[in-house]
Amino acid sequence: MSTAIALPETLDLKASGPLKQAFVERRGQDIEVHADQVRRLGGLCLQVLLAARKAWAEDGKPFSITAPSEAFVETIRLFGAEGALLQAEIQGAAS
Amino acid sequence: MDELEAIKVTFFQECEELLADLEGGLLAMQDGNDDGDTVNAVFRAVHSIKGGAGAFGLEPLVRFAHVFETLLDALRSNEIPGTPDLTALLLRASDVLADHVSAARGLGVVDMDVSAAMAAELKIATDPNAAPAAAAPVAEAPQYVDAAPIVIGADDGMDDDDLGFDFQPMTITLDAQAADAAVLDGDVWTVSIRPKSDLYRKANETALLLRELSRLGPIQATLDDSALPALEFIDPEAAYVTWSVRVETEQGEEAIREVFEFVDGDCDLEITRGEAPVADVLASLLDIAAPAPAPEAAPVAVEIPAEAPPVSAVGPAAEAAPLAAPMPVSAPAPAAPPVAANAPAPAAAKPAQIDVPGPGQSVIRVDPERIDRLIDLVGELVINQAMLAQRVGEYGIAPSSNLAMGLDELEQLTREIQDSVMAIRAQPVKSVFQRMPRLVREVANMTGKQARLVMDGENTEVDKTVIERLSDPITHMLRNAIDHGLESPEERKAAGKNPEGVVRLAALHRSGRIVIEVQDDGKGINRERVHSIAVKKGLISPDLTLTDEEIDNLIFLPGFSTADKISDVSGRGVGMDVVKRSVQALGGRISITSRPGLGSTFTLSLPLTLAVLDGMVVDVAGETLVIPLACIVESLRPKAEEIRPLGPVGSVLAVRDSFVPLIDVGLTLNYRDRSPPPTEGVVLLVEGEDGSRAALVADAIHGQRQVVIKSLEQNYQQVEGVAAATILGDGRVALILDVDAVINLRRRGPPPPSDPTLIAAE
Repeated sequence: MSTAIALPETLDLKASGPLKQAFVERRGQDIEVHADQVRRLGGLCLQVLLAARKAWAEDGKPFSITAPSEAFVETIRLFGAEGALLQAEIQGAAS
Repeated sequence: MDELEAIKVTFFQECEELLADLEGGLLAMQDGNDDGDTVNAVFRAVHSIKGGAGAFGLEPLVRFAHVFETLLDALRSNEIPGTPDLTALLLRASDVLADHVSAARGLGVVDMDVSAAMAAELKIATDPNAAPAAAAPVAEAPQYVDAAPIVIGADDGMDDDDLGFDFQPMTITLDAQAADAAVLDGDVWTVSIRPKSDLYRKANETALLLRELSRLGPIQATLDDSALPALEFIDPEAAYVTWSVRVETEQGEEAIREVFEFVDGDCDLEITRGEAPVADVLASLLDIAAPAPAPEAAPVAVEIPAEAPPVSAVGPAAEAAPLAAPMPVSAPAPAAPPVAANAPAPAAAKPAQIDVPGPGQSVIRVDPERIDRLIDLVGELVINQAMLAQRVGEYGIAPSSNLAMGLDELEQLTREIQDSVMAIRAQPVKSVFQRMPRLVREVANMTGKQARLVMDGENTEVDKTVIERLSDPITHMLRNAIDHGLESPEERKAAGKNPEGVVRLAALHRSGRIVIEVQDDGKGINRERVHSIAVKKGLISPDLTLTDEEIDNLIFLPGFSTADKISDVSGRGVGMDVVKRSVQALGGRISITSRPGLGSTFTLSLPLTLAVLDGMVVDVAGETLVIPLACIVESLRPKAEEIRPLGPVGSVLAVRDSFVPLIDVGLTLNYRDRSPPPTEGVVLLVEGEDGSRAALVADAIHGQRQVVIKSLEQNYQQVEGVAAATILGDGRVALILDVDAVINLRRRGPPPPSDPTLIAAE
């Protein structure tokens, strides 16, 4: 079974709780995270994403972030989290 | 209110303070105090606004603040010289910034054309060599911001050309490691950032800190998520992840520290010179599933310098460069023990601690209602204490007894508490004064005059109740001083004066009142004209001979205006009489002195607080009344020969060569139908707000006392002749006399019998 989460535009303090909830509810399923809308990504939501990524890795279920927006990619890089959250082809693409 | 909104409110409050600091600093610079500290303070103010605005995504505000900040940065690093013209430009820019803040707050809109033009001007001032064309993209900035994914990102793209950062191609070739080694060790810093949960709670953001860091030079952040709990156990609002950032910058430790200025205390910070120990850098890679394939980053990154010429430095391309560049550093590496990440920095590296603000700087924000409630309660306490003292007195307890002495101590304490509580609510008039420089600039612009505002005594403290109502009168008086007081630059030159007029706004304490003075060095009041206008408008009769002072005071008459034409600024004839009325409503008085050719001075005197009042407690027809002490000139027992009848019922009292009307308070307030002979009572000589004197007749004086004002309007209804009420020591309600109203009531004759009779109730 597979599922998807569409990330909202702003991933700030307010978004981190609901984001965690969304991941917890979908635990155990293949997941696709749509990051095309993201304009802002904060440290708290980054933590949730990292934790979710790890959880899915533990479960051995596929976890993919699709069509990340430029802002998303850029911020992930800024955070030094590209290794964990971006796929290889996106990691390399600078723009 | 949701939490973020609450933080936003705090941000805007801070913005107000920052804008005030900004303006204060710029004005100091205008006065020639452009030492490094002032410039730095000004820079920090703009920087702080930008930082906060970024956190809330207030994009136009961030954009403008950024351009502004860049110029200030150039100024403080002495890249450009400080000139009066530049300071004037900065002041105007601060006005636009204030508009942006208001707009972000939802109060008013920003004229984008003005903002863009100002941004362009700032840009040119930053780099005089830049052709106007180069400034154009900045002017259009607000449009393209929408297209950019993140405003700060776009911002930083601009930084790179603003600040002359170059991405050195050598750091992104495959020789990266070698090139890195070539960079002087002194230019490489390792910043270890451990955000606390509070940082996020206060709407700060690590991403912003990292972005700010990347302005200093190429950075490479390595995150450590070893403390991150499993998904189910994660607290969405707690900080777990920490970062170690390699920064390559020539700007030194100070610049790095400044980035973290706003998160002081909310973020553990260590700044170390040189590379972090490899283990430290790599520890966090442990949990990362897919290590970054460095070689892939290189070819793409190489193209970046070509993609980022100064003007086209838009968007993430330029942004990504510094990040993509040092990627080889984070290349896959053998696992290092996870403990290393948490290990303290090597002893050799000097940890840099951030300065924590001292306790003196900490400020508590309190809901004003709570303070009002406290003041109310303390008022009750004072009354209660007075009642207790009176009861004890009634029992005839010796003053030397323990009980009486204990009561004395209680009284002292109560007074002290009252003073301290009042001090909590006291605020410096600065909060009102700080809005005035802008007003002066705008009014001067509108009227084509040159005016400089000099302020004095901004730190004079007044009760909050008064301060809130000071703004309007001061605004009116300043407008009036510039519009009517100051001459045009040409006239001033012709009169041998400096073309720039000086308007002085001062606040001072004088005998328990606050005095506000607005002084201009203009032409002074043209008394002939004032007199003729007053006659023409039918305000005074033409054959009336008036003293100079009386003529000056004509401008306070309703419907009086001397301006030749009605301007936008003033001259609608609603100016000074409105000021006078609002000042009187506060229990204050206003006066004017003027010297032809030298200017005029308006003096406003107000009580320091509207919560307590010094009054004379008197007895009238069996009722206890309080007469404000500020109105009383003297008290005396009249002799029969000093009283002269006037008209059928009235009489006047001779006091030192002049006659003042005698007013029986009991009769005026309808306590009694017929007044006893004044010689049996006490006469209080009072002065009304307009300077007119009257002699109030009371039966006896009980003494002078400080009373807590209880509004009659709030608790009952407005009563003519009575300003408010208070509760005395014996628990009785006493009315506080409105002296002006009593004088006016007397002039109009006794009120009709249908008026409600006032009885001070138990």
